Amino acid sequence: MIILVENLQKRYDWHTALDGLDFSVEEGDIFGFLGPNGAGKTTTIRILTGITRADSGRVLIDGHNVNTESAEIKKIINAFPESSGYYEWMTAYEYLEFFSHLYNEKRLRRETCKLIESVGLQGKENHLIYTFSRGMKQRLGIARALINRPRILFLDEPANGLDPKGRKDIHDLLINLNREHGTTIFLSTHLLDDVERLCNRIAIINFGKIVRTGDVKKIEGKGTIEDIFFLSTQGGAP
Amino acid sequence: MKTAFIMQKEIRESILTPKGFLWYILTSVILSVLSYLFLTNRELSLLDQGTMLYMIMNFITALGVLMGLVLGADAFAGEIERGTLEALFLSPVKRREIAAGKLCAVLTNWGIIFAISLPYLYIVGKGGQNLLPGILYLGVLGTLLSLIFSAFSMGLSARIKSMKNSLIISFFIFLLAGAPIFLSAALRRTWFGRIFDLLNPFADAVNTFDSVVIDSQGLSYQTGRVAIICIYTLLCIWFLKRSAAKVQM
Amino acid sequence: MKKTILTLSMIFFATMLNYTYAAASGRITISINPPSVQAKMGDRITYTGTITNNSGKPVTNLITYISLANVTQGKEAPMDLEDWSANKAIRVDTIAPHGTYMGKWPMRLIDSGGYVAYITVVDKNNNIPVISMMSHLDIKRVLRLNPNNVLPVAIGEPILIGAVFVFISFKRRPGVR
Repeated sequence: MIILVENLQKRYDWHTALDGLDFSVEEGDIFGFLGPNGAGKTTTIRILTGITRADSGRVLIDGHNVNTESAEIKKIINAFPESSGYYEWMTAYEYLEFFSHLYNEKRLRRETCKLIESVGLQGKENHLIYTFSRGMKQRLGIARALINRPRILFLDEPANGLDPKGRKDIHDLLINLNREHGTTIFLSTHLLDDVERLCNRIAIINFGKIVRTGDVKKIEGKGTIEDIFFLSTQGGAP
Repeated sequence: MKTAFIMQKEIRESILTPKGFLWYILTSVILSVLSYLFLTNRELSLLDQGTMLYMIMNFITALGVLMGLVLGADAFAGEIERGTLEALFLSPVKRREIAAGKLCAVLTNWGIIFAISLPYLYIVGKGGQNLLPGILYLGVLGTLLSLIFSAFSMGLSARIKSMKNSLIISFFIFLLAGAPIFLSAALRRTWFGRIFDLLNPFADAVNTFDSVVIDSQGLSYQTGRVAIICIYTLLCIWFLKRSAAKVQM
Repeated sequence: MKKTILTLSMIFFATMLNYTYAAASGRITISINPPSVQAKMGDRITYTGTITNNSGKPVTNLITYISLANVTQGKEAPMDLEDWSANKAIRVDTIAPHGTYMGKWPMRLIDSGGYVAYITVVDKNNNIPVISMMSHLDIKRVLRLNPNNVLPVAIGEPILIGAVFVFISFKRRPGVR
């Protein structure tokens, strides 16, 4: 397995965000991480990507401990955070070039333009980001998350703010990444359509605990993802 | 190398912007007015030239420190509030490299202020005493003070994660540091005033300028105060390093 | 008007006192040099006060200081010499019998107008101070529009920074680059 999470705990002052989280993700999965607002999805992704420390528990990414080997982990992962901001005074090209430098990636202009094109922003590479719509910014954020060709890609609500065409483009991109490059995708979302369309495995989190996990196909045999989600997050059983 | 890219980004974000240039134009306008008044106003123009130079040096230092505080307060908290820090943390850049890049950008800002002030220092101090030592001390101590206050403010911004609050605290510290200017000469001569003056890096710098430019005293007179400023510099850089390492989203 | 009368009365009284006491006691006399000065703002002049011990005994522990009063119409007031002169009071330990002491008061002329300068000697053993004659000081106003070439820098530098900003903004127009 490429991601292993054991007994993860995280508290923020008086609020318990994660309360003994356990799950694993296999290499090549498109793993759907579902949960209602405030369930602990973003905190989990932040801990898995090493930008927040858990109070206790263990996270292994490709066998590396997230607390002690973050340099190794950062080479093989990337993420698109939910509340992603942008350096709006940069052009799309400059933005990606800046992050390429931080990854020590010596990209040709042609390659960066191709990446921009792959997220559907062709022709916009020299436009300042502040002129972009929210959907365009989302696409640019995803392009940034692909800059180091990650083996594991964490996406936190990537389809938020996108129109149906934009959502489809992102779906196609993710499916392509998974199939062509074998990228493991950890997709946090509350859009159940996306899960049905993209994911092969899911975990449902509620109040900081995993309440359901398994293969999408097996779960779907017992009802729709929507049914399972509502039953799981209300404390019932399918 | 990554520090250089962060620094470049910061310079483009904070300095090469309309806001940044507005600061520099205002700095230059204020220095123009001050210099013109010093040299032409009936009362001010007849101040001793060393005193004029000393006053302009104090003003430039205060301005550099103030701008360093504002840029420092924005460094981490501002990026968190704008949602841009997470992407930076996801990239393989060490926290200390990020902090160093941001600190270097603040120093660049101080360098620009210093460069802007050079013609004014020259016209005000020309023909007077200790112009060159004054400029040299301003360059060195101004850089150290800029480091002290911006590193402190940056560390605070990393810990508090709120730009507004870190700005308020930083301004409070700035006022406290500038307090000797508001204290009467008599109060400054008391034991409290003397200790406060000695332990306050801003007062140490101002007193060093006084000693160098007005009293024409050499380096041996300045070592104590300069050493205290150096100690503060190291302490504040250490504070920034610790604070940056602890930033969590 | 009251202030003018008061100031002039003070100066008159001081002058009269000088004559009176110098004439009456004769033990110590003080003279001021030069007796009148024509100068312009910013000039540096030096007043010299000569204290003479006319008696056969040494005099000790004298304090002597210079005073300046503005006598320009409408601006009559004693001046604070803080900005004009560094040496205000001089302590004279001893002047030998029939000896003299010369004190110097360098002064930077900071404002235009008509002034009078006079030197006072205070002897601890006498109740009445000795005051010199008044030296008339006429300071002409100097209008300095561009000292030290301040104008090109004061006007030019903000314009130069603005021009650099316009140049950079022009190179980096919003939208398409």
